[in-house]
Amino acid sequence: MSKHSALNTFGRSGNPAFTKNFTNTDTSSLPLAERMTLDGAVNKTAVLLGLCFSGAFLGWNMPILVVPGMLIGFVLALVTIFRSPSKAGATAPFYALFQGMALGGITMFAEMQYPGIGIQAIGLTFGILASLLFCYKSGIIKPTENFKLMIVSATMGIMFLYLISFIMSFFGSGIGFIHSNGLFGIGFSLFVVAIAALNLVLDFDFIEEGAEKGLPKYMEWYGAFSLMVTLVWLYMEILRLLMKLRSR
Amino acid sequence: MNTIFFSLLTLFSLFVFMNLGKVRASKKQTDRSDRINRFGSKQGSANQKSARSTIIEGKAEEINDKGEQ
Repeated sequence: MSKHSALNTFGRSGNPAFTKNFTNTDTSSLPLAERMTLDGAVNKTAVLLGLCFSGAFLGWNMPILVVPGMLIGFVLALVTIFRSPSKAGATAPFYALFQGMALGGITMFAEMQYPGIGIQAIGLTFGILASLLFCYKSGIIKPTENFKLMIVSATMGIMFLYLISFIMSFFGSGIGFIHSNGLFGIGFSLFVVAIAALNLVLDFDFIEEGAEKGLPKYMEWYGAFSLMVTLVWLYMEILRLLMKLRSR
Repeated sequence: MNTIFFSLLTLFSLFVFMNLGKVRASKKQTDRSDRINRFGSKQGSANQKSARSTIIEGKAEEINDKGEQ
């Protein structure tokens, strides 16, 4: 049990994909070939990224796929998170493909308004991924329980704010500063990008620890899936931030 | 120019991810007492051991009012 009651109540990571409790995972009887490895998790992330780019190509050319891609991707994410993680090998590739379709279409619409914004957002997303991976591997950023509590709280706060804004939008209202291109709106977007980026550190730590403890092989898919969830979120927030900056 | 720069950044970052991701984290990262313990790991028991080691073992000795043993 954690000394922080919020972690026990809401889960042990900011990433919703890690809210499951894995403390009872018994790996002692598993043969080496059936255990999670770093290589496996990285390769599976590369597969998911490839599928996401393929989906994005489809979504870019057929923008009608944005809404179905987003809805199916969202449902698949929920299925992967709330059903057994052992199903991640079957659901994660479809999640990446459908989310890719949505992202491709959204990027195409953004490109029509602000040419060149798509490649900027992709470059910044992967730039952040690589630099945070370096910071994590070298021990510059050390995820602790307090770090996790901070990221969990901030992530849940942001999600709650988005949910309220979404509900208010049905009544013709909303939380204005979230979408504004003023200083406050840009500051909020910067904060959200920072929190999404720091969620990557928790993902790296989960994969590192999972490989260290020799979790079952299917956890490679689950680790890759959670990294994809964070990357998709980070990309969307960077795109939103760049759009705000370009619209000024 | 903008597109070339960000394309190169993307490719370089993916290359870094594919290579650095497969390397184990440094000892500075993995050998920490305040590490997040998700799976009920050995680290936890190590912490318990270190917590236990703060107890001073030895014979109990009576201390009188004058501080003589």
